[in-house]
Amino acid sequence: MHDKIISLDNATKRFSLPEGGKINALDAIDLEVSRNEFLTLLGPSGCGKTTLLHVISGFVQLDEGQILIDGVDMGETPPHNRPVNTVFQNYALFPHMSVGENVGYALEIAHTPKPERIKRVGEALELVGLGGYADRMPRQLSGGQQQRVALARAIIARPKLLLLDEPLSALDRNLRQSMQIELKNLQAELGISFIFVTHDQEEALTMSNRVAVLNGGVIQQIDTPLNTYNYPANSFVASFVGASNLFEGKASRDGERIHIATEHNEVIEARARKDQHINGGKVTAMLRPEQFSLADGDENRAEIDVTIDQIVFLGSAYELLGKTTGGSEIKAIISAARQSRLAEVERTKTARLSYDPNAVHLIPGTGDVQ
Amino acid sequence: MNWLKRLGGGSLTLYTILFFAFIYAPIAVIVVYSFNSDPVNMMKWSGFTFDWYKQIFGFTNASSEAALYIESTDQLLAAIKNSFIVAAFTTTIATLIGTSTALAIYRYNFFGKRFYRVLMFTPMLMPDIVLGIALLIFFVGIGMPLGIGSIIIGHCTFLISYVFIVVSTRLAGMDRTLENASADLGANEWATFRKVVLPQVMPGVIGGALLAFIISMDDLVITYFISGVGTQTLPLFIFGMLRRGIKPEVNAIAVMMLLFSFTIAAVGLYLRSRKK
Repeated sequence: MHDKIISLDNATKRFSLPEGGKINALDAIDLEVSRNEFLTLLGPSGCGKTTLLHVISGFVQLDEGQILIDGVDMGETPPHNRPVNTVFQNYALFPHMSVGENVGYALEIAHTPKPERIKRVGEALELVGLGGYADRMPRQLSGGQQQRVALARAIIARPKLLLLDEPLSALDRNLRQSMQIELKNLQAELGISFIFVTHDQEEALTMSNRVAVLNGGVIQQIDTPLNTYNYPANSFVASFVGASNLFEGKASRDGERIHIATEHNEVIEARARKDQHINGGKVTAMLRPEQFSLADGDENRAEIDVTIDQIVFLGSAYELLGKTTGGSEIKAIISAARQSRLAEVERTKTARLSYDPNAVHLIPGTGDVQ
Repeated sequence: MNWLKRLGGGSLTLYTILFFAFIYAPIAVIVVYSFNSDPVNMMKWSGFTFDWYKQIFGFTNASSEAALYIESTDQLLAAIKNSFIVAAFTTTIATLIGTSTALAIYRYNFFGKRFYRVLMFTPMLMPDIVLGIALLIFFVGIGMPLGIGSIIIGHCTFLISYVFIVVSTRLAGMDRTLENASADLGANEWATFRKVVLPQVMPGVIGGALLAFIISMDDLVITYFISGVGTQTLPLFIFGMLRRGIKPEVNAIAVMMLLFSFTIAAVGLYLRSRKK
């Protein structure tokens, strides 16, 4: 038993472009997934996450680097001999087979005796809440049900690792949210590792033990959902995972206090953290929209004046869109409980916002990081 | 405005009726007159009879009036038999080659693939008469005796195209991720082909085979050139009868061919609906 179910070392894949030249779909990826871990690959379209998934399932061969599954080099192993199963984005159910035949496919291929096959198909369908559906045809099922069949089919052979390629993207919002929780529970119950691919950051944060943010074939950050959200490694992660206000500028340090002067002449206050060594030079300061509130004279909070262009009602909160006096765009989320003061903001089209300097996250360097 | 709308709808209905009448009226005439007892004037109804059907199968005694018009029943039966032999062999060969070619083109990339595909289409677009003459010259050139063998080879040359096109169309509509899904679940290429690709492509194969069978049964022009002396297929036999005037049995034969084609098509549709 290896404690890493999968490890990729310097995994590189290049594709030829139609107009000539090559593009790195995967650029020297190092990635390890532990037993029983739920890892999410998060990134925009074309970031390489699907290629990475195909490298693991065996449909794409690496140009460079190594892939080990459970400690065994899989470089030469074809997809059908890998201890990995996939839930495909469009489900890829076999249209000419019943639900039961679909789910039992892997067992049939492995020549499992029929009585056992039927028993396990029944169990797998029970597990995804589709007991009694074995004789239906896939086209008679709704999208959510097809999704569950695909899931049952992928877990029946008890793979060491389950790959899920944006499996929830075709479902409506409510169904997606309940499936997120079910998937998480299922993963805990089965005790197999999941690698889940998505471009939906909310999905990534809800379900995962760790999130790997990909862009341009490079892993930008791999960390817990909380750390990814609170301490993004660069401005790409900061803006892709959740909404953020980013201020680029020159840092100057005075004891614990750090001041970031932007080219728009704003000054953002921050506090030095022990794990960060920022003494000066270019930095990007990040503030999440919900870290702002309407200023009420608290001395521990820094303040900033904003002109408001738009107020959007979100239900439990209001979103304020505006600009600083220097011209930087600001997005702030204010609790709807502050009705009276919001009315004033709406009338005057200006607001003084405050934030906690301790909450400002500093990213070394400028926003040009890939 | 309402009357205008009604007029528009009415004339559309009328147009539709006329359109179908134009297509099906001649066929209806053949069916009706195959039961007409007047042996000379086809366009004059003089009573209902099964005589022409009886004659085809040789049930009428030679002394009846209708017997004057009898072609040799033995010749007719021999022609039908030849047609079936040709169609059976042609369908088998064309289906095997056409299907495997379509699968190969779907599955693999190779140099000159697009040109190859065009070559597969071309025989279907070739004028029958050109193909017929070309085949005749070829068979005579290589010294092959004309007969059932040459007809089978001749039919295959263009029916492979038909099967190829029907199967290719089916394959084009297939979801490739299904093959990935099958491989992902542990099936090797052969198992994937047998359990996923083949069952899905089967309706196309059956459709292509039925089409090839009907076209082979029906072909006149190409067969005319390459049948040689002494070998007759059903269309050639009917064509021969027509040269000596339109005889009433022709109607009866036509009706039976029609029934046969409908049966084949119905079987095809039935199989298809069961698969889906």
